[in-house]
Amino acid sequence: MTYYEHIPFRENIPAYALGALDAEDVAALEAHLQTCASCRDELAVYRATSDNLLMTLPPQKPSTAIRRRLQRRLPSAQTSMRPRLNWSIGRMAVGMAIILMLALNVFSISQVRVLQRQQTQLMDQMQNGQEALAMLSYSNTQTFPINTESVTGSLLLDKEYNNAVLILRGLPSITADQTYQVWLIAPNGERTDAGLLRPQIDRPFISEVIYSTQDLSNFVGIGMTVEPAGGSDHPTGQQVFRVDF
Amino acid sequence: MPEIDDNQLVKRVAQGDERAFLTLYDCYASRVHALTLRILGDPMLAEEATQDTFLKLWSRAHMYLAERGSLLLWLLTIARRTALDRLRLETRRPLLSDSKDPTEVWKTIPDRDSLPEENRWRSLHFAVEALSPEHRQVIELAYYQGLSQSEIAEVLGWPIGTVKTRLRVAMERLRQEWGAG
Repeated sequence: MTYYEHIPFRENIPAYALGALDAEDVAALEAHLQTCASCRDELAVYRATSDNLLMTLPPQKPSTAIRRRLQRRLPSAQTSMRPRLNWSIGRMAVGMAIILMLALNVFSISQVRVLQRQQTQLMDQMQNGQEALAMLSYSNTQTFPINTESVTGSLLLDKEYNNAVLILRGLPSITADQTYQVWLIAPNGERTDAGLLRPQIDRPFISEVIYSTQDLSNFVGIGMTVEPAGGSDHPTGQQVFRVDF
Repeated sequence: MPEIDDNQLVKRVAQGDERAFLTLYDCYASRVHALTLRILGDPMLAEEATQDTFLKLWSRAHMYLAERGSLLLWLLTIARRTALDRLRLETRRPLLSDSKDPTEVWKTIPDRDSLPEENRWRSLHFAVEALSPEHRQVIELAYYQGLSQSEIAEVLGWPIGTVKTRLRVAMERLRQEWGAG
């Protein structure tokens, strides 16, 4: 790429670092950044500047009410609000007997929990599948194909009912310390976390309901990246796909 | 004054240590609140956003990775997004007036105990203040109001090309200031 071909991309980097680049320019710049190390270095410098803009405001002490409200929301405050129990010798004896029985049945309990987890997963999968089938029958549901080198599928989107379902096939396997993270993409390029998912090894495809507390009409696209287990605050890893709607 | 190791504190918060959580609150609440107040402009909304930010710290402490940046940067990034989300929900019109608040004052003489980074942040703050009103306004609308370039053009009634140029020039000046530190 010549210097002059770089110019349009380099000129957009400061706005991108601020999160102010318009959506139609974001995709082109992000595609360019994947192949251009010098522009990535440039972005890193502008990101450092924009990150440190966060630090430039002089501190403003909030009211003491916030600290009190936070303390009330902490677990110890919740526990102290419950009525205390009076432990008599009789109750303690009963408690010890229960503990003994539980200890003797630890293996059975753990087995039951494994079965319950599997049952929950199966029910989640059934529910996702039913949600996808239901959406296919709605006239307002829009279908957006997803087609990358490795991943194919569809995004089902119904803005009226604020529903979205991802159906994906061919997701590459990831390591135990990684996860897939779904992002809703705002017009200004900002990403909002829309959930984590780990595909099961024995299933060729997945369908996943996307839950958003915000109106899906506020967004212009959906994407997925590979992130560390537990997810990230913003995309940091390799993009798996992006679809605009 | 003993140094507070943020990494240790946030790990303890991830394990449910409430005292560590309140220590971090006492350390950083003023910074977070300054940002939420700047973005939202309303003390009550700013307090709610500040509270939400720290509740997110409590629930997401396990997600913090020190190699990605300081805890303060992580917290302020959460605070900015929380406040911008709230701004959009409230459908509040962006502040068009000059953002200078007479209470928003850095001391011009650095404290002896202040960190080297704080001096750089002060310098960057003064660099923002030194921008022309037009350049400062695009930074304000982009960063503290979360608007895209085309939205800024619409709000200010400027051609999109003018917005792009002014935003780029402003960021280049701030980048030079930050890089010179």
